[in-house]
Formats: sequence, C-alpha cells, structure tokens
Amino acid sequence: MKKMKALLSIATASVMLMSSISIPASAETGTSVLNVMIETQVESLDPQQATDGTSFEVIADYTDGLMQMDESGAAVEALAESYDLSDDGLTYTFHLREAYWSNGTQVTAADFVYAWQRAVDPDIASEYAYMLSDIGQIVNAAEIIAGEMDKSELGVTAVDDLTLEVQLVVPVSYFLSLMYFPTFYPVNQEFCESCGDTFGTSPDTVLSNGAFILTDYEPAATSFELVKNEDYWDADRVSLAGLNYQVIQDSQQALMSYQVGDLDITLVNGDQVEQVEEDEEFSSIGAGYLWYVSPNIDAVPELANLNIRMAMTMAIDRESITADVLKDGSKATYTAVPMDFAAGPDGSDYAEDQTRYSDVCTYDLELAAEYWQAGLEELGISELTLDMVVDADDAPQKVAQVLKEQWETALPGLTVNLTVEPKKQRVQDMQDGNFELGLTRWGPDYADPMTYLGMWVTDNSNNYGLWSNEEYDAIIAECTTGDLCTDAEARWERLYDAEALVMADAVIFPLYTQCNAQMISSSVTGIEFHAVALNRVYKNTVKTED
Amino acid sequence: MKKYTLKRILTSFLTLLAILFILFLLMQLMPGSPFNDEKLSSDQRELLYAKYGLDQPVIVQFFKYVVNMLKGDLGVSYKISKNTPISQLIQTRLPISIGIGGAAVSIGALLGLLLGLLAALKHDTIWDSLATIISVIGVSVPSYVFALALSYYFGFRLRWFPMLFSTKTLISSSILPSISLSMFTMASIARFTRSEMMEVMGSDYMLLAESKGLSSSALIFRHALRNALIPIITVLAPLVVDLMTGSLVVEKIFSIPGVGSLLVNAIQSNDYNVVIALSFIYSALYIGIMLVVDILYGIIDPRIRLAKKGD
Amino acid sequence: MNKMETASAAEYIPADSDFRLKENASEIAIDANFAAQSFWRDALIRYIHKTSAVVGLILILLIGVLAIVGPGMNEYTYSGQNLSQKNLAPRVKFLEQFGIFDGSETMSTTSGTKVINGYEEDGLEDVYYWFGSDTYGRDIWTRTWSGARVSLIIAVAAAIIDMLIGMSYGLISGYFGGRVDMIMQRTLEVANGIPRLVIVTLLLLILSPGMLTIIFALMLTEWIGMSRIARAEMLKLKEQEFVLASRTLGAGSFFIIFREVLPNIIGPIITQVMFSIPTAIFTEAFLSFVGLGIPVPQCSLGSLISEGFNSLTTHPYQIVPPLIVMALLMLSFNLVGDGLREALDPKMKEM
Repeated sequence: MKKMKALLSIATASVMLMSSISIPASAETGTSVLNVMIETQVESLDPQQATDGTSFEVIADYTDGLMQMDESGAAVEALAESYDLSDDGLTYTFHLREAYWSNGTQVTAADFVYAWQRAVDPDIASEYAYMLSDIGQIVNAAEIIAGEMDKSELGVTAVDDLTLEVQLVVPVSYFLSLMYFPTFYPVNQEFCESCGDTFGTSPDTVLSNGAFILTDYEPAATSFELVKNEDYWDADRVSLAGLNYQVIQDSQQALMSYQVGDLDITLVNGDQVEQVEEDEEFSSIGAGYLWYVSPNIDAVPELANLNIRMAMTMAIDRESITADVLKDGSKATYTAVPMDFAAGPDGSDYAEDQTRYSDVCTYDLELAAEYWQAGLEELGISELTLDMVVDADDAPQKVAQVLKEQWETALPGLTVNLTVEPKKQRVQDMQDGNFELGLTRWGPDYADPMTYLGMWVTDNSNNYGLWSNEEYDAIIAECTTGDLCTDAEARWERLYDAEALVMADAVIFPLYTQCNAQMISSSVTGIEFHAVALNRVYKNTVKTED
Repeated sequence: MKKYTLKRILTSFLTLLAILFILFLLMQLMPGSPFNDEKLSSDQRELLYAKYGLDQPVIVQFFKYVVNMLKGDLGVSYKISKNTPISQLIQTRLPISIGIGGAAVSIGALLGLLLGLLAALKHDTIWDSLATIISVIGVSVPSYVFALALSYYFGFRLRWFPMLFSTKTLISSSILPSISLSMFTMASIARFTRSEMMEVMGSDYMLLAESKGLSSSALIFRHALRNALIPIITVLAPLVVDLMTGSLVVEKIFSIPGVGSLLVNAIQSNDYNVVIALSFIYSALYIGIMLVVDILYGIIDPRIRLAKKGD
Repeated sequence: MNKMETASAAEYIPADSDFRLKENASEIAIDANFAAQSFWRDALIRYIHKTSAVVGLILILLIGVLAIVGPGMNEYTYSGQNLSQKNLAPRVKFLEQFGIFDGSETMSTTSGTKVINGYEEDGLEDVYYWFGSDTYGRDIWTRTWSGARVSLIIAVAAAIIDMLIGMSYGLISGYFGGRVDMIMQRTLEVANGIPRLVIVTLLLLILSPGMLTIIFALMLTEWIGMSRIARAEMLKLKEQEFVLASRTLGAGSFFIIFREVLPNIIGPIITQVMFSIPTAIFTEAFLSFVGLGIPVPQCSLGSLISEGFNSLTTHPYQIVPPLIVMALLMLSFNLVGDGLREALDPKMKEM
C-alpha cells in the first residue's frame, strides 16, 4: 500500500502545482460581461500575421484601424477623423484623431507606416500582404513583397504625427473598406521591437487602442478575457464591462453551457437546430463563405469535357443540402459570387438574382442525364470513377456524402470516392494539382465581387483547376487596373459578364453560401455581424440585467 | 547495481536521441506544409522556409535542434500560435495535463484495485463475473461518450459540477474529466490485480501463512496484496504517461488547455516544432518513468537485483 | 503470539477446535491432474466447464453471424440515403403494439421536452427502421452490422499479424540473447517511445485511407506487447533440457525456435491474441473519432459511435446499437481470453 500512497501523493502534489500556476481572477463577472463562445483558438494576435476569423475578431476588439465598420458593414471613420481623396483618386490623406495606446503613448501616423511596412516585409511574409499590393494597389507594395525594393519605399508616409498619406497605383473604389481589415491596423514600433519575437503572445506583449483591453491570455488559450478600455477615444459608446471568450469544440457542450447561462452567444450545429429552432433566441446569420466543388479541368481528361461538368453541376440538389443536411440557414447558391456581402453602386446585393445563370446552373435531373450521356459518348466511355478531396471537418464531410449519393443516383456509371483528410493536406493536394474533384470554400476578404472573380484568372494560385480564358482575363484586368476602375456602374456590369463566363464553363460547381446558426441571449442586443473581415463587433453591444 | 543503473541511464539517453532523429525523419514524410495557406504566394512560402531553416538538410536541422534544446530552446510554433516559443506554449499546459492525468490514474488505480481484489477473493462466483463485466464496460465505452454523458447528467441536469474546465474553479471542474479518464486505468488495474492476486494466493508461502492461522485480513493485505502490488506498478507506470499526454479527446470535450489537444492540432496543421517537442516530451517521460520503475523494481525485489548482476 | 506463549508455558495438547477444514472439496474432487487425456482435450474440457467463457464464445459467434447476414435482412443498404426519412426512431413491426419500438422519441428542446413520432408526422405508416435511421436517412440496423463486419475484420487481421510479427521478434530476441537481444530490445524501446498517435496519424496521412491502412497502422503499434510475452516465455524455456537435447542432436537455431519452443508457448500466445482483438477494436474507434477512421460512407463500429456521438443529446438512440455491439464484442473476447488462459495454462491447475 505504501506505493499507492506514494502515487497518491504525487498526484496530489501535481494538483497543487497546477493550482499554483492558475491565473489570478481578473474581470469581475458582473452581468455586463459578455460570454462569447468561439470554435477555434486564436492563432495569432499580431495584426499583420493573423489570418483567421477568430484572431481578427479578437484583434479588432482591442485595436482600431483608420476606419471601422458600421452596423451595415460600411466604412466609417475610426482613428481617422477625416480623410481627403485627390481628384485623380490616387492619393488618400488621412487626418488622425487624438488617441492613445494602453501604455500611454499617442497613436501616430508613424505607427501606421511601421505596421504597413511590416505587412509587406518579406521577412514577416504576411499571408495577407497581397491586400496591400494586388487589392489595395499601394505604390511599390508588389515590388517590396517580391524582394525587389526596400520596405521603406512603400507608398505610405507620415506627413506629421497626425497626417498619413497613401499613394495608389490606380484608383481603388473600395479602398476605404480595406482600412478596417486587421492587416492595416497600426503597430507601435518602439513597443513591438521591445517585445522582440514574443510580440502578440500575451497581455504584456500587446497594446490596445480600441474598445477593450486584453487582460488574460495564453497562447492558443481555451479561454481568455478582455475588459473595457476606459481611455478609449469612443469609450462613451461602449457599454459592456468586458468580454469573456471560451473555446468550445464540442457543439453539444456549447449548447448545454448556453442553456445553463454560462454563455451569451453560441453557435449551434446542424443536428441541434431542431432542438432550438422554435426558440426565439435562435437565429441564423450569413458568414459570407461560398462552398463549391472545384473540378480539376487541366489534369483530368474526363473533367475537361464540358458536358460532364454541366451534368455534374445540374445533378446537385442544393436546396436539399441546405434544408435537410446543414439546417443552419445556409442558402443554396447558383452563382460564382455568394450572396449578401458585396453591395453594388445602387446598394443592392451583387448576387441577389440567383436565377441569372439558370440555363447553366440549376437542379434539373433530366437535363443532367442528357449532358451526361452526351459527355460519355464524346469520351467513348460508359463508366467514370472520380475522387473528391474533402476536409476532415463536420460540415464538409456531411455535404460530401450527400453529393456522392446525389451524383451516383442521378448519373449512371459515375462512382465518386471521398478522400477525407485534414485541411492542410487537402489544400496541399489541391495546390499540387493532385486531385480530381475538391470540396472547398472561400471567404470574402473585402466587400467586392473581385475577391471571388479574381481567383479564376489564368495562373492565379487559387485557380486549382487551371482554367484559362483570355476574354475572362481581359475583363478582370479592365476592372482592376484598366479603364473601368473609376466607373463603378460600368465596372459592375462587366463583372457580371466575367461571372457569366465562369458559370457557362462550369469552372466551379457552386453549392451554398454559408450561414451560422446561433443562439443569442435575449438580454443581449447590438452585436454586429458581418460577412467580411470582422465577423462580430461588440462596440455597440448592450447586455441588460435580467 | 550501480553499474547496471549507470548503464540503463546511458542507454536511455541514446534511445531518446534515436527517437528524436526518427521524429525528424517522420516530419519529412508528413504531407502538406505549415505554410501552404491559400493566400501565400510561392515566393513567400520559400522565404518562410528559409526563415525557419526548413530548407536545410534534415541532418543539419537535427543537429541545430539538439544544440538549441540543450540550451533549453525548443523553437517556435509555426502555425497553432504563430511565433510563440514552444516552451511558453507548454509551460502552462503540461501541469494541467499532468494534474488531470494524475488524478485520473489515482482514481482509476484505487477503484481498479478494489474491483480486482473483490474478483480474486470471490473467484469464480457471481462477484467475479460482475467485476469483469464492470471493468470491460469501463473500457468498451469510449471515454468521449462517457465524458459527454457525465457532463450531461452531472453538469447540465443536476448542475453539480461545471461542464467546462476553468482554472478559476480548478478542483470542481477537474472532477468530471478525471473520472472520464480513469475508466481505462480502472479496468486494466482490476484485471491485472485479479490475476496477480490469484497467482500469489496459490503460492506456497500463502499456504504456509494460512496454515499458521493468520486472520484473513492480515493474509490478504500483509501478504497477498503486498506481493501482488509490485508487478501492478509496472503496469501503472506507462498508463500514467499515456493519460498525461493521451487525453486529447476528453480535453476537446471539456475545453481543457492541455497538451493532448495541442498535439492533435499540431499534427493536423503541420506545426513541426510543436509535434517534435511534444512527442519528445512524451518519450522522455515514458522512458524516464520506465527507467525509474526498473531501478526501483530492482531495489524492491532482490531476485531481480541478483539476476541483473549477471548482465 | 498467544499460541506461542501457551506452548512454551505448559505441555499443550491440540484439541479438535484448533483445527478447521479447508473447504476445498470442489477443487480436489476434480481428478483433472491425473486423467489420461491429451493436453488439448484437457483444455477443452476445462474451457467448457467455465460458463462465462462459453457465454463469451456464443456471443462472438452470434455477432459474427449477424455481421454476415444482418445487412441483408432488410431492403436497405449501408450507404443508401433517404433524406426525407432521416432521424426516425426505432420501430419494429410486432413490438410497436406494446408501446416500445413504435417510432416515437422524446426530444428535449430549449423550450421543454416533446414527444414526436416521425413516422406518423411524415405519413410513413409502412416504413420500419428496426434500429432507427440516422441523420442522412440511412438504416442503422444495416449500418451497425456492416460496421461490426468491418471492425471484426480489422481487429482480427490486425491481431493475427501482430501475433506473427511480435511472436517472431520476441522469440528470436529471447533465444539468441546477448548482443542480438540488446539491439532488438533497444529498437523496441525506440519504437515504443514514440507516441502512437504520431505514428498512426502520420501513417494514415501518408497512405491512402482505407481498411488496409488501418490494419497496418494498428499492426505497427500493437506488436510490442506480444513480443514481450514471447521473449519472456523463451527466456524461461530455452534453458530446459528438451532444448539442450534438440541442440545436441544438431538442430538449427530456427528449428529449435519454431519447432521446439513455439508449440510450448502457444497457450499464452493465443490468450494474448484474444486480448489484443478488443484493444484493436477500441483503437479503431479512437481513430474514427479523431477523423482517421474508415473513409465515409463505409462504416465501422467506431465511426458509427462517433457519428452517433454528434446526436447524443438530440437522438440518443442512434449511438446505442453500435455501442452495445462494441461493448458485447469486447466483453466476449475478454471472457474467451480469460477462459483460454485458465484452460491452457497448466499452472492454474494447481490451484
């Protein structure tokens, strides 16, 4: 028995050890602290290195950029009090307001210059560097990223402490809406360099200039806290005392925690929707992502056949996928650009008309069978086996299983095998061209259809099927750097022409625009949801006491 | 004995070094890359490879890693928590995993011992079968099903314990995960105790003790259990390591910031440094514990000590 | 101590009350030790006398038969989806008259619990899913038994391959001893020191997922226990006279290992195989949960359990059939293993 005792005492000792490292409780759990559920951990708190939605949301909780999003998603002034745009549309001058970092130093134009130079610095190799070059069209950005110029030559200058001047290569109609994207957020040079490599890994190595201050955080933490920043320039607007984030990967645990009152907002998985759909706290909110199947047109001869592709896209019952399988409010999509994220010059949604391409993308089993027969005859085959690579996550696996069944039932002779693998490997396979069909998704980076249409240009790294069409390339060039970039309405119409080409060739089989099913406590109002950049913003959120 | 101990320690070090090298080779085989995000250009990818020294030959990477490790530097994470030193990443997670794993092993060992004793003493009766059934059910219901069921009844319905782990309610929120994890230990220990006890009780010295008219409690606890416990420790030791590191499923359900879920995330996102560091820590713990058990075993059991002299 | 004192104080005459009978009539009545029977016949008799072992064997056979014929017992297939008939509770033709298995289920929603019957609501009066249907409208009965089939194949194949590799490794290492043993044991230590999760995951990522890959992955990590047992037995046996005799007669090393020693340790080896089958079933279930199991829409008990897990709080009946089948399988293999150990190990006879 002595050994057992020894063992027990080791166990007790380790429990004690554990308690000694526990973090002292901060933020009082008053009622106006919002308890938020997130699915994934924060990958990085460095605004120039973060790439995922969760990280962006948290960074934006405690950092302001030049602009911020209003309730509808439009860009309104934040750290910039006002701005001027030159007549040729190539020079933005931002006038900063008086705002301070949480260590007391003032936020200056130099902080922006430093941050933006970091974003294009080849040593940092930011994944979102192209937001400054290809998307933002800032002078010299592309050359710096390619290592051809020094980062100090970036077209952004601090005229004085409160004046920031940005030079563009061509006019960019949506430039202001980029300013709320975290890659463009300021970083204080002195502070960042004093942290060295550990910048953004703990509350001590981040600075706040936003609505909240990070008080409790460990790298890749499963829970962390922010409290209200009393020195925030717009502190009067902020009513929450703080935010408590809790990572919960298991959806059933999340819903139970919500039901006992530990959470104020949580995501609901498809299976559970029938449990909660009659609840008035249940809602479904657009997440912006377009899910689609990408056929490898270049490498698979059978998929190079247009009839085969048309047959496959028409054999998909998208309504059934969203209504019977996902159940989270996701919308069946028949266009290459998803719904509800890009509003045109007249304010209407770009993809509002889902029947625009109904002659080439619809659910029609008879037509599908005709295309299929025609395709098989052209190829001189009677059977076809295709592999589809799928992420090992819940939703894609479900959708893939249903797709397989729908295809195999509707198209005689077709067998689809599913290869389920972790996302990293799936992306690698698609990048290497080592796939036949790929189930993938794309989230919008900025509120313009170009965030999708730019992908199908010849040689774009995300054009996995290696589709190439000269006319298409010409339209896209015209709309990004050519004549049309100043004429919003004409550009809009041309973008439809481009999309029509993609759809007519069945370059992708669009499936649905993702929505998130969620529960929000009835005591909480004013959480702003966006499909682009920042998914949730809490500055105007109010939590009333029960 | 001293010579034997020294030799064992030396070979353990060599074993660890070999494991580290194999881990490096395995990382080369891993499909995918930590830097294949859809929005990175191929130039940027090459820059990142160069930045972290991943473009060098494996053997060079290996030696650099060993040198750095001796200085206490385990490298940085590439993906899970970008650029965070791994020592910082595991410094808070390892104690949590060890604590919960330790508690689970203690609970499991205690229950298993009782169950095993019961089965052995009432050998071939309904109690024996019952103990077998309980212990087999204990292992055959996967820990994640058990964990969610516990959470549903004791956390959601009865609200006795928190459903999610939190460092603020450390003790109460560790109870459910520890119990879910303890089942496997319980079953293994119960099974092992039963067979060891039966073997010991069948031995000649037990017959002698019994003939001397010792009371049955003295017989069981002073003679039988004591001798049966020695081999049980060898079974328990690897279980401790497994539980400390292998509780990833339960960690996921209770949102525990431990090392198990970290390892799975790291593997799935090709975060090489984290995979190597965590695997290495696991191996070191495992081999370390086995070493300690081996040496202790020699001290406790003179037969082994004598046998090893001949080695 | 009292007895000692009295003994030395005065002449002590033992009385009847000082003795009691060791009540082992049942043990000594069996004349197994001296019966003139072959070892195997002897073992068989001992095995049959152990009720739990026989029950285990019957259960394995029953599940085995159902795994073969079960999927064909109704009109559904394991992958056929019918999204309009999803999440239906179990319904069996005869039993529904008694209010059980009538297709109704109690669902707890955030606004209270309600009893629903999907069959009546959707007008499916003639539809029967014996174990219910899953989230894609697939028949759980069919899937459970085809899952059991896959799990059994994987587990038995993995256990047998484990046995072959582990046994050979252990026997060779134990027989030659010295430097060979030293090198082989260190290699084993290295293999054992790398976390299984890392090896298995990497393997499943490198090779294309499927039944063979899973068997290979299980094999790669599970042979170590077997080799330990084989080595220990070899160390025990190799100093015995019959080995010496064989060697003196000029037998080669491998002849001695596989023809002389192996038949003598077949008992513990078979027992170990019986115990490693449930381990393999369980490990496969774990792999399914971390997303490395059998590729969809194929299923194993493990993948069915992890699918059912996602609906545990909404439709708990979905996880029950695969869970029970898995528990029964593991229990049976353990019972059979216990029975075999006692039947095949002559040492147990002495008790």
